[in-house]
Amino acid sequence: MTAKRKKSTPEKEKEQKYTKRGKTSFVVDEVSNIIKEAIESAIGGNAYQHSKVNQWTTSVVEQSLSQLTKLGKPFKYIVTCVIMQKNGAGLHTASSCFWDNSSDGTCTVRWENKTMYCIVSAFGLAI
Amino acid sequence: MSRTALHRDDVDDIASLVNGFLQLIIFSGLSSRCSQKMKGKMKLSNFEGLTPMKEECSSKTTAKIKFLNTYRLEPYNKFQDQLVRGRAQAILTNKLQQAKYDAISSPSLCASLSEEILKATKEMGFDRYKYVVTVLIVEKAGQAINVASRWVWDVQRDTWVSAKCETETFIALALIMACYYE
Repeated sequence: MTAKRKKSTPEKEKEQKYTKRGKTSFVVDEVSNIIKEAIESAIGGNAYQHSKVNQWTTSVVEQSLSQLTKLGKPFKYIVTCVIMQKNGAGLHTASSCFWDNSSDGTCTVRWENKTMYCIVSAFGLAI
Repeated sequence: MSRTALHRDDVDDIASLVNGFLQLIIFSGLSSRCSQKMKGKMKLSNFEGLTPMKEECSSKTTAKIKFLNTYRLEPYNKFQDQLVRGRAQAILTNKLQQAKYDAISSPSLCASLSEEILKATKEMGFDRYKYVVTVLIVEKAGQAINVASRWVWDVQRDTWVSAKCETETFIALALIMACYYE
């Protein structure tokens, strides 16, 4: 009698990583890269234009969200983008969260050019 | 000789599996008692009650620790938008009626506001929710500002609330997002 054992292929191992009940945690570097890319591609070299701001905020947020979901991790994502014209005015944001510190995390990216500021915060909550 | 070697391996595997299974049974028995004790004391943090047991057993068992099924899909006390919106609005207006925009004091004001709103939302006692509270304070200087948010979550169970407060020198915006966690 020979005992047969299934060898797990690297693909199967990847699947098992995300379907097992073990915890995956929020990786800040990955997420910040994704957000930076999204900002660059959406508003990269543009100057502030009132008519286009709406479009820009939605495209930044949608692009970063779609890239985040493509990571395939078991997370719920919340992405907030604030674009403000440079006028010498002050802007403050603060956020507090009630969650599980070991699995959930946040990442905030500040970006600016000559005419505007852009602040994007991404929150990831484990399912 | 090869047959007996295989047999020994299999026996070792079975022994470790049985060991792990027994540990799981003991652990599940203990954890159910632990959660019953904790229910009376802590309302929101069902999962917190289970973490001490996890530390004890993780060194002994070879199998991964799993939480018990509660077979509950909905929270007992669901998040009520109107209540939270009213409370957040009240907190904002109370704190900001007399305040003037000040570059030095506004950052700390912003942070304290978000913590207060978080505390108030937690006190309302909706069970099994994780909260994210964001507060924005923008000085009024004739500039334009655009705020956009998108999310990937469970539409039936997760929700958000916003509250705004405007004064002569600045605008304060509070966003509260509540996500259901099983």
